[in-house]
Amino acid sequence: MIQKKSLQWIAWVLIMPVLALRGFTTIYPIVKTVLNSFFDIRILSGVNEFAGLSNYINIFKDQKVITTLKFTAIFVVVSMLFHIVFGIGLALILNMKFKGRRFLRTIVLIPWAMPSVVIGMAGKWAFNNDYGLINDFIRRFFPDFQLSWLINTGSARAAVIALDLWKDLPFFAILVLSGLQFISGDIYEAAKVDGADWFQSFFRITLPLIMRNVLTLCIPFTLWRLTSFDLVYSMTSGGPGEDTSLIAYRITMEAFTNLNVGYAAALAVLLFLVMGIFSWVNMRFMSKFEN
Amino acid sequence: MKKKMINILLTAACVCSALTGCGNNGDSTQSSTDAVENKGGNKEYDLTLYTINSTDADFGDWLADVEGATGLKINVIAAPTDTDTRQQKITTILSTGDSSVDVLEINDEMSASFKNSGWLEGLNDTVMTEDIRGEFPQGYIEDMITDKNGQIVGVPGYSGYLAFWVNQEIMDEVGISAIETKEDFMEYMEAVSTDGRYGYGGSWEKTYAFNEMAQFVNMFGGDYLDWSNPANREAMEFLHEMVVKGYTSLDQIADKYEQMNPKFNDGKYGSLFMWGLGTDYDKAGMLGEDKIHMAMVPQFSEQKYIFTDSWSYVLNTASQNKDAAIKFLQYMTSEEGMKASYEAFDRYPARKDVAEKIVPETDPSKAIYSRYANECVVKGRPMLPQTMEFISAMGTIFQSYIKDEITIDDFCAKAQEYVETYN
Repeated sequence: MIQKKSLQWIAWVLIMPVLALRGFTTIYPIVKTVLNSFFDIRILSGVNEFAGLSNYINIFKDQKVITTLKFTAIFVVVSMLFHIVFGIGLALILNMKFKGRRFLRTIVLIPWAMPSVVIGMAGKWAFNNDYGLINDFIRRFFPDFQLSWLINTGSARAAVIALDLWKDLPFFAILVLSGLQFISGDIYEAAKVDGADWFQSFFRITLPLIMRNVLTLCIPFTLWRLTSFDLVYSMTSGGPGEDTSLIAYRITMEAFTNLNVGYAAALAVLLFLVMGIFSWVNMRFMSKFEN
Repeated sequence: MKKKMINILLTAACVCSALTGCGNNGDSTQSSTDAVENKGGNKEYDLTLYTINSTDADFGDWLADVEGATGLKINVIAAPTDTDTRQQKITTILSTGDSSVDVLEINDEMSASFKNSGWLEGLNDTVMTEDIRGEFPQGYIEDMITDKNGQIVGVPGYSGYLAFWVNQEIMDEVGISAIETKEDFMEYMEAVSTDGRYGYGGSWEKTYAFNEMAQFVNMFGGDYLDWSNPANREAMEFLHEMVVKGYTSLDQIADKYEQMNPKFNDGKYGSLFMWGLGTDYDKAGMLGEDKIHMAMVPQFSEQKYIFTDSWSYVLNTASQNKDAAIKFLQYMTSEEGMKASYEAFDRYPARKDVAEKIVPETDPSKAIYSRYANECVVKGRPMLPQTMEFISAMGTIFQSYIKDEITIDDFCAKAQEYVETYN
């Protein structure tokens, strides 16, 4: 035992390169970002001076950021609600026994496998009033239909959320499906014998048994929504105005286009805190659910 | 004991490998200038050029031509194709005093941001000398690449105009032969705008709208950086009214050039303002005097106004190879240098006298570009040091105004606030 302990330093030496690398690529950027958030760093103006909390205070005075935060909240909540509802629905369909099930399971994943930037660019055209396939499809039933989706706040936001769902919902469903496949068929048979109908089986057997799985999935899927940048960048550039701007997009613009590094860092720290709080709440909720 | 020895040996090997690795890394982090200049103890390159043209098929020929004519060996670094990444990298190079790049190509947005920063070398006495200065578009030189001390800090690589384009087929259809005045313009709007077709088309996505907003402010004789000017208000109200009357489409709020140009090719628009020589129209088989072509800018106020743009070659203040860089820049201002760029990259020469000489009469842009240069007040676009923020902010309030979310008073007040904030 003593000999083992005395050799621990060797283990530390061996893992030190990895720790150093991780420290340099993760810890250092985080610490530097937090530090930068207290400075007014505007590269184009050559400004780099201590600013205390003013970057944080400015966040809540900046109309662009307020609009961004509003849409980020809408985007995350609405998208996640639809992910859960339709994701479970799609998973149930994919769990049914029918001809071509394997083929369907494969093709539903295609949108997820495509790069978000490509989907965003395609989405910009898809929702175009003159050339878009969405309106082309609708006009087959309503020939006079005219809507330029991306010029009005509501429709542009709906388009962004719809595209996000189109891309990621199948992946969510496939992961829920993996949970469904762990539920033994015997339980359903027993319930059937006891006279339970489909709805009772779903709400009393299926849902409780996959809930842990769904809640676990909600953590990364929500965090991905919170950090989503590429879809909006390539589809709407945050427009019209700032109405479809997401917080990660705003940070990127401030950091890499406007080169306001200090302000971008403050926004990033804020996002980091929101993500931390969300994860904590979700984990508490999960442990409560388990109890 | 044996195991212990093996452990110690392995540890030592790992530490040595790590240190060796670090050592190598340390060597490789030497500035690229050292790597470039000291290969084999001799100076391999005379200067390093950071360029946007390296992906052009004719870039190799152009480089050989420049090296042959100047006797310089040029090291080329390709600039990123993504706008934001490119701007970020160039800003980093210049702001940190990085001497590994001597000459860079920068666009108008970057010119506006950098010209007063002290990062760019003044060229009045060496390159942009008095004998040739007058041949460049004066408005552009003054607005875009002259610093606060009167030093010209760039060499325009070409002359581009925000040209007025018309669809001749539509003009013939409505029986209008020329659009020379505001009245002609309105007559054309009224005649063309029907059945899903618009007299005027634009690209009003928030980062693109700026070009047309500034163009119309100019046409009305306003000043884009002074929103107390009544002409500015008049220009914005004019654009708003165009939407209300159905002369132009609200849908274009979502459009960039890649959405606008197909619509123009498809005959949905009768006219528009656009940069370049009409490559997209040419590809669609729509470029020509009887189809889509450039026309003279209509005169709305006392004079005709047009914007010019360019990518300028600039000299990094931190450069260690200034003599070679100046030699290169002098060549780029010469007739031979401009001819090489025209032939390789289809870049219309920035110098008026050179354009007259080397651009053949068969080039369809020659006649109209000469007219633009001679008949219009040629200006650089009005930009501020915090360019991209300013452009985006102005585009955002313009969209709000066009959609009736804010009034013209709100718009002008906000616009003036942005001018002051981003200056």
